[in-house]
Amino acid sequence: MSNEAKNNVNDPRRPNKIIRYKAPAQGTPSDDPTPDYMNLLGMIFSMCGLMMKLKWCAWVAVYCSFISFANSRTSEDTKQMLSSFMLSISAVVMSYLQNPQPMQPPW
Amino acid sequence: TAANQHDADVDDNEFAEFEEFDDEEETTTVKSHQEPKERKVDTKTEDVVSKDEIEEEDDDGVVESEDDEFEHLQDEEEFEGFDKERGSSPKSKGSEKLPDLEIAKVPLHLRTNWDSFYVEMLMIAGLGVYFLNFLAGKTKNSKLAQAWLGAHKELLDSNFSIVGDDGTQKEATSGTLMKESENVYALWCSGRAHVEGMLVELKLLKRQDLINVMLRMFKPASDQIVITVDMDKSSMDRFVFAVAQKKAALRLHKDMNDLSQFAEKKNVDRYEIPSSYQILSEIGEANQTLLDKKVCQVLTKYEGLIEYIHFSDQYSGVKSQEETQSKLPETKAVLLFCFNVPDKGKTRPSDMEFVKPLLQFVFYCIDKVSRLQLGKEARGKADKNRQKAEEVFLKSIHSQRQEAAQSRREEKRRAEKDRLMNEEDPEKARKLEDKEAKRELKRKIPKVKMMKVG
Repeated sequence: MSNEAKNNVNDPRRPNKIIRYKAPAQGTPSDDPTPDYMNLLGMIFSMCGLMMKLKWCAWVAVYCSFISFANSRTSEDTKQMLSSFMLSISAVVMSYLQNPQPMQPPW
Repeated sequence: TAANQHDADVDDNEFAEFEEFDDEEETTTVKSHQEPKERKVDTKTEDVVSKDEIEEEDDDGVVESEDDEFEHLQDEEEFEGFDKERGSSPKSKGSEKLPDLEIAKVPLHLRTNWDSFYVEMLMIAGLGVYFLNFLAGKTKNSKLAQAWLGAHKELLDSNFSIVGDDGTQKEATSGTLMKESENVYALWCSGRAHVEGMLVELKLLKRQDLINVMLRMFKPASDQIVITVDMDKSSMDRFVFAVAQKKAALRLHKDMNDLSQFAEKKNVDRYEIPSSYQILSEIGEANQTLLDKKVCQVLTKYEGLIEYIHFSDQYSGVKSQEETQSKLPETKAVLLFCFNVPDKGKTRPSDMEFVKPLLQFVFYCIDKVSRLQLGKEARGKADKNRQKAEEVFLKSIHSQRQEAAQSRREEKRRAEKDRLMNEEDPEKARKLEDKEAKRELKRKIPKVKMMKVG
């Protein structure tokens, strides 16, 4: 059924009353906080992985940045995601370059 | 280790040599690999013999080729009790007398066999599994979203002139399902009577996040469809009304601005809807007309699926945490529907067909609310509530403003006193004090005068 034909009395459509979509403000409490928390956690872990040469910290940092990538919103800019990935991967590489012994898990 | 400074130097010195010696030893063993087998045997025994002599050798720092480097080992006066033939004999053939000292070839790392890196293998395997699950979850979610759109497209097209505008292009487009994140999709429809626009948010489960998948094993959850209908200001009467599952009702009553201000709990048994629901409403008359036969039928039929229905002309979202609200939060007339997709997470695209009647129910509610006309006293009660809310709000704003002014005044006075205190020359200080006293006096007197005149 074409649009015109159906333009009888009970057709609810009003082509003249179209209102464009406005994206909600960024800080809406509805969007979930996990990507930001995971990003922050990843940064902290890779920092302490680099500083204190703890291998398990570096590995946890890689996991954190991966999780924040999985939950990231498409509107988020990819630079931040890329930087957190680079930081955590460099933490792993650096901690293995310094002493190539396999990792002792913290327990 | 040595106590005084001098010996300490010696220690360091030796230590340094030891390091050099190490590199020396490694390079020689590496170099010896290339030469033929028996030559290797000779150099090894020579190493054993020449290990300590080599240290003096390095001190001279004389550059020699490798062969004559060992020449000085053969001459007698250098070493007591050195018999010529014993020293040179190893050169020609392997000698049995020498104990076969086999030096274990120490590799660069201490252990290079790969299976000691088992924890790293585990980590990489974990990342691999996470990535596979990410891909699987991503495709499953997008398939579900497309299935929902496919099932509802025809109904949406018959009710809205544009379906799926994302507001980026100049002209309103149609048919784009916006992907907000891997598990949240949004669809904006507009161009309908009584309605400014309708935003459908598909809040699917985080199938792409392995941790969330495991979490849901213990605490099952289901996909949700949240439909927000922005009504025209004119086409909705003034009332706040919500029907929700018990748990959701508690949360909404606490969090939502308008519900907490206007609505109170109402018991359910007066209406034929299942007891798992809870009614929050401001005006009784609105309940009566809204909960008609058809609505109650839908509520009972889809009892598990309907999470909450929230109609309100004072909707201003969730209560903001920070106390000092600078201005009255802007309110708009909104109908909110939140539906659960059946099967608690094991949703298949075919389930989306099952949810289709709920969208017809949404359109039915839109028309019903736009036709709803409250009685005079009901409307009066609503207006009174709104005034009261506004006054409460203004009072809180007023008191905040007063506190702010109060603290500013104190701040100024303290600054004034500080300037007075650290003023050096007494003469200027006295002048300041007089000015201060005069101002104080001036502030007191006018009050008294006004009282008399009044």
